[in-house]
Amino acid sequence: MEKKNDQVYVDPINLIFAKAMEIVTWIGLVFMIIFGVLYLAGLPSFVNMKVAIANWHLPVGHFWEEVKSVHIHGYHWFLGNIHLMDCLSMVGICILALAPFASLVAALSKVGGQHKAFVFLFLILIVEFVFAILKPIIMPGVGGH
Amino acid sequence: MKRWRSKGILVLASVVLVVLLTFVFWKTGFCAGEAGAEKSGLAWWMWPIILFLFTFVIGIIAPLSGVGGGVLFVPLSTAFFPFSVDFIRGTGLIMALTSALSSAPQFIRKGLANIKVMAPVVCVSMVTSILGGIVGLWITNAFPSGKYYITIALGVVLLIIFVVMLTSKRVEFPEVKEQDGLSKALGLTGAWYEPTMGKVVEYKITRLPIGIFFFALVGFIAGMFGLGAGWANVPVLNLIMGAPIKVAVATSMTIITINDAAAAWIYLAKGAVLPLIVVPSVLGISIGARIGAKLAVKAKPAFVKILVMGIMLLAAALNIIKGLKGLHII
Repeated sequence: MEKKNDQVYVDPINLIFAKAMEIVTWIGLVFMIIFGVLYLAGLPSFVNMKVAIANWHLPVGHFWEEVKSVHIHGYHWFLGNIHLMDCLSMVGICILALAPFASLVAALSKVGGQHKAFVFLFLILIVEFVFAILKPIIMPGVGGH
Repeated sequence: MKRWRSKGILVLASVVLVVLLTFVFWKTGFCAGEAGAEKSGLAWWMWPIILFLFTFVIGIIAPLSGVGGGVLFVPLSTAFFPFSVDFIRGTGLIMALTSALSSAPQFIRKGLANIKVMAPVVCVSMVTSILGGIVGLWITNAFPSGKYYITIALGVVLLIIFVVMLTSKRVEFPEVKEQDGLSKALGLTGAWYEPTMGKVVEYKITRLPIGIFFFALVGFIAGMFGLGAGWANVPVLNLIMGAPIKVAVATSMTIITINDAAAAWIYLAKGAVLPLIVVPSVLGISIGARIGAKLAVKAKPAFVKILVMGIMLLAAALNIIKGLKGLHII
């Protein structure tokens, strides 16, 4: 146990979880906001803002058919266009969504032998998280469209 | 004097919110969710500014009541703005995720949030939140009128939240005489320094299996509607599992980071997250929440609770009416 605030001891797995979350969140936020603002400022983009606004009342599937004539599933639509500002901003959002995953991996490295149940729980969480990321690629037909 | 100033800022924020929503509703020809943006005649660059102001005011109000930004953003946007509910849910989820990611590390360092409490409940709720996200998107895409059913369901969920907020009695320091076997085996205990009491407070968690069941249900609803779910996590942790209210709020924020991050991938992969909506919204709520957090120390909780409950009741009624109108029932 590690000393905290001269009053309370906080378990190191909690502390490393928090540290990893903080670092990855900052990276994601900076990425998302800088490139998002550049997108709003009119730099080259994947989605034209005026066209998007004219169609954003449509359900997501119809929206992409109208705006880009594409059927979206998976992450290629923004990862394949990372030279464009809105797609770079999307990468920032992905980094944000990866922050808890990074925290779990960091915490797992500190769990150690005295918390075997938590090694098991963290591994389940990591596997669930990887599945959540991969599901749209490996099971694109599930869940509509 | 300071309390009056806080109250004044809150009243001003509420007035700005009402004026802004009325303006949007009027400019879109009272047809939010349909071709409102085209009918509005607003210049394209006005929308990011309106979104920023809207989420900025939500950011001021939300932390005062202990609800995440998403729980106000999703129903109000669905009722007043011309976006599809898919984009609103995607944005609400990213907003709730960002808010939770920003506050959770602080709570953990103080000993208030405990990832040992979080791990077993999230193992289950993560799966159900993914399922909720899938079901939410599937309904709006598979059925021509699906978005109206989603809108009505959202209104009903808001009414339930309203009743929960009205009737729940938060217990500051619940007395846990004995832990259940599972909580004891996992060592679900902790401590934090409580400045108002000037001492370290220790706590024990109990009734973990019942808590897991409720978290599964909450995860599904949160994923389906793109809500942060803090409104439901806190009562389960506090009233069922015996966590002190401050620990319940802090641990809830950590749970939200995992659940929302998992659900976000579905929205990202379906293209339901647009930087055009997300970036001004996240900026607005992040700045507003910093002001709201400072005001929270000074404001009277009862006043804030009434304010938020009033907004939620209004949004619930509008969502149900809008859904019923869409289905030509009224």
